[in-house]
Amino acid sequence: MVQGKTFAERLGRFSVGFINTVGLGICILPLILILWLSVISNSVLSLPAEGYTLNWFAEVWRQPQFIGGFYLSTMVAVGATIIGMIVTIPAAIVLVRKRFIGRTAIMQLLMSPLIVPAIVIGASLYMTLVELEVRTGIPATGSLTGFIAGHVLLTIPWCIRLLTANLAGLDEIVEEAAASLGASPLAVISKVTLPLIRPGIVAAAIFSFVVSFGNLEVSMFLSTPGQLTLPVAILQYLQWKIDPTIAAASVMQVAIIGLALVITNRFVNLSKMV
Amino acid sequence: MIKRGTTAAAMLTPATLMVVVFLALPMLLLLRYSFNRYVPGEFMVEGMTIANYVSLLSDSYYLAGLRTTVLMAFGVTVACIVIGLPLASFIARQKGSLKTLLLLAIILPLFVSNAVRAAGWMVAFGQNGVVNYLLGAIGLIGSPLTLMYTPTAVFVGIVSVNLPYVVLTLQSVLEGLDPNTKDASLSLGAGPFETFRLVTVPLVMPGILAAFVLSFILTMNAYATPVLLGGPNFRMMAPMVVDEVLGKANWPFGATLSFILMAVTLVMTIASSMFIAKRYNYSE
Repeated sequence: MVQGKTFAERLGRFSVGFINTVGLGICILPLILILWLSVISNSVLSLPAEGYTLNWFAEVWRQPQFIGGFYLSTMVAVGATIIGMIVTIPAAIVLVRKRFIGRTAIMQLLMSPLIVPAIVIGASLYMTLVELEVRTGIPATGSLTGFIAGHVLLTIPWCIRLLTANLAGLDEIVEEAAASLGASPLAVISKVTLPLIRPGIVAAAIFSFVVSFGNLEVSMFLSTPGQLTLPVAILQYLQWKIDPTIAAASVMQVAIIGLALVITNRFVNLSKMV
Repeated sequence: MIKRGTTAAAMLTPATLMVVVFLALPMLLLLRYSFNRYVPGEFMVEGMTIANYVSLLSDSYYLAGLRTTVLMAFGVTVACIVIGLPLASFIARQKGSLKTLLLLAIILPLFVSNAVRAAGWMVAFGQNGVVNYLLGAIGLIGSPLTLMYTPTAVFVGIVSVNLPYVVLTLQSVLEGLDPNTKDASLSLGAGPFETFRLVTVPLVMPGILAAFVLSFILTMNAYATPVLLGGPNFRMMAPMVVDEVLGKANWPFGATLSFILMAVTLVMTIASSMFIAKRYNYSE
């Protein structure tokens, strides 16, 4: 790199450095501020901080909407992850191992929940479930089944992406060897294919959990007053006020997602996924 | 391995069926409802009218919302590219642990929900927030400024959400460039800024286009950030959809808004990827 000597070149280098600092600040600052608010001892947002405390994290557990939200979000995320894995593993195997007419179309259909705006998925699913509720009398919105149905949809494209990438890297010869030695197709899949793509399966499962646990837009449409997921409870609280308690609840949500991602990162390179 | 077509079909069916039942069919229902009429007090009246689409494009209330959304999407995206390009090229030049640290600073926020990041900006912009405190402490202002519930707050909040995507998109393209092209330009007498403008930028143009479309779509669909930082009277498309469907129970209009939002998103995604593929001879 040729070092600039003139005033214009120094000014140029200074402004690039300034832009970079602003850019990094804009990315990181909100996280630092929310972390700071969660540990100050002031009971409302005010400056300067009177001291520091971890009491707000205990306070979160005295608020029923956060306990209920945490419980519901966990149930929905676990349910959506399990069902998502059951439907996507066989689909991914067929999509990678077989060539057939309409393969690209099915692949695109399975990836489509990633392209359609989440708000639109939420609105359309809400209208469908309410129609179903009116026609059959079975409560659908606010039910665990309704939440899980919506969330499985969100996990499908991520599972398909992670699993097909993993399967494509697996040499088909291993499977053919097992088959030629007399293993039935089912035995080949359960004894050879599945153990070999285990990293992909673990990554897809944790990623599904993260996508479901953090979802706001779809859950908001499916929530009913007593049945809120954690992100919806956090949003509704924030629309009312910001204080150290909500900051602590946010930090806990971030910690859970962060932990899941650190585990995922041991199986796949996350920076290649987004 | 999977010999019979029926086995393959059986393995594909559950996932495909889930997407058809919970995404494709609801979309058709949404399209159908967008042609219905909303009569206050009667909820929804079956009909076959384009009145909702007409009023979306003629009613000043909705037009203002559409205009705010498009202006915001454009402004945020330009800001993200202007900040993101130098930042991405700075990160692409680094090596070792500094690079890991910088990448972490960009990737980490991606996994924090938009509502939580908006909450962070609420701490900065509030009446008793950090910005007002700092400006007051150095004596620049006598009374606190109103920063919350302003378009500026929404703008900063959405830039903060979109910037990591833009930086990562650009950084991956920049890392793929041959460093010799830049060295050649410098050795032939171009300054660093000229080299950046005349050599680097044209080479990363497909990346800039991809980042532009991504950021534009993310802004069009932004929900938590405009709701929390813009307040109840700030209207952008996604909050308007929620307000119509859940707030006013005006399904026909909510469906119309949703459909327009989805159409714009899909057309931009498909058109841009086709354009990039054709213009730069890329295959996906």
